Amino acid sequence: MKRNTCSGCSLLCDDIIIRSDGIFIDEVIGACLKGKERFDQTTAKNRILNPMIRENGELKETTWEKALEKTIEIIKSSNNPLLYGFSNVSCEAQLKGMELAESIDGFIDSNASICQGKILDVVNETGITLTSITEIINKADLIISWGANAAESIPRLLNKTVFSRGKFRMTGREIKTLINIDPVKTASFNVMGVRDLALQIEPNKDLDLIRILMEECCTADSIPSKGVAGIDKSDLKRLLLHLKGAENGVIFVGQGLLKPKLDGTNIIKELLDLVQMINMKQERGRISLVLLGGHFNMAGFDQVALSTYGRNGSLQFKDNQLIETQDTIISKINSDDFDSSIIVGTDPISHLPFNLSKKLCTKPLIYIDNKKSATYEVADIVLPTAITGIEAGGLTYRLDQVPVELNKILNPPNKIPSDEELLTQIMEKL
Amino acid sequence: MEMILNTVRMVDHDQVREYVYGDEKSLMENLAIGILNPEDFKNLNLTPSLNIKLSSEFGEVIVRNNRDENIPQGLIIMPVSIWANQLTGIKGKEPIYKNIVVKLEPTRDPILTFQELISCIKK
Repeated sequence: MKRNTCSGCSLLCDDIIIRSDGIFIDEVIGACLKGKERFDQTTAKNRILNPMIRENGELKETTWEKALEKTIEIIKSSNNPLLYGFSNVSCEAQLKGMELAESIDGFIDSNASICQGKILDVVNETGITLTSITEIINKADLIISWGANAAESIPRLLNKTVFSRGKFRMTGREIKTLINIDPVKTASFNVMGVRDLALQIEPNKDLDLIRILMEECCTADSIPSKGVAGIDKSDLKRLLLHLKGAENGVIFVGQGLLKPKLDGTNIIKELLDLVQMINMKQERGRISLVLLGGHFNMAGFDQVALSTYGRNGSLQFKDNQLIETQDTIISKINSDDFDSSIIVGTDPISHLPFNLSKKLCTKPLIYIDNKKSATYEVADIVLPTAITGIEAGGLTYRLDQVPVELNKILNPPNKIPSDEELLTQIMEKL
Repeated sequence: MEMILNTVRMVDHDQVREYVYGDEKSLMENLAIGILNPEDFKNLNLTPSLNIKLSSEFGEVIVRNNRDENIPQGLIIMPVSIWANQLTGIKGKEPIYKNIVVKLEPTRDPILTFQELISCIKK
């Protein structure tokens, strides 16, 4: 029995007990459904165990030598390669991916660019007050989940933050107020108590809510009598009262708040402005944010890119130098500005709009991952890797930007390399 | 009937689990689904055996229907998947995953299988 860190989601729970003989995992204690499924992936029936190459339209098993030879052939004949994913690999593998992109004049981006990375893009202008899970456990008295369904996407987050007894919050749940803001009464609403506030907002009205809170902050009684965005006046007043009166408040920002900037408005910027304004008016404490990215090392890519290249994603290299670009993974694929792609630890065919998936398939695609997926079905080359956090160790960043080291528990089957080892091999062969 | 579509991650309709442990049948059963308010279900004259055809400005897809009273009227949610992707698109440089205006109609037409969708993508 050994205590391990789980790589099932971005919360990286470090209290999971694993019983293993070094060959198989016999027992997992303390993990949520997502975590348990992550550990079970080692023996899952759709695990990829051998490299594959597409021949006559079908994927066929091949040797590592042939698969790597073909991979190098595709990379060498490519002038404008695209590297995408890297949210489910260690920071070491992310750094190798960036070095590979630099050496082959490619464009590299992670899932964060269509998720929580959008927030970091506006932080340069506005600043941001972040906090850590430990701070929330020990000090928080107000927890707001906005556009997020943490109970299903990061299952133990509410358990750890709302129900825990912290160093300075010995009474635990009784003193913590939970506010859920979402159009759907999600599973996260089911943990609410009498003193909590359930705000079922009208779809796509979050900006109206932010603006009225801002207005009410500046001029009292700005809220119209019928309320705003489907929320009545008294609930809005209670929300503002909680925001201004909390000693240590935190807002979990979910994907539901990440709306595109179509009419010149930027909801994230306005939310950050609102938090700053509230913090200026706060007399007792402050409000902080936690960005709820789902993949276990989504925050890591931003950290590695920032510390190595000074940008939090969307890195374009030319003549082995980082150059300025306004492109994102979306604009690159949409404008057909690539001639091959290397997909690492993600499944773009399952999460990108259909139109982009079609474009991605028109160019040679190298798929590096441990499991089958929709992207596997369209890949030209499939290179399996070890499961990070179980069959390979490495550094990761938790959703609150805290570094957490993952350990190796088992040896991978068929001597499959880790993502870092595989990317190193590719670089050495180039 | 016009509605707003939100694509969401759901623990009961999780595509990673389906790809790792499931098969083509379970993929379709768990991911090719649209969930709406029982009142909307009634207004659309739906029955559990009927499928729903959703059309957005980006494309269309046929999925099976389900009801949940926790979803407000006028909103339909779909788990993020290769089926939901038929309705999502790009505006500017950003993908649109939520608040997509869709037209809903009951249909007896079949749902495209996973492999049929993959073939459409490869075409």
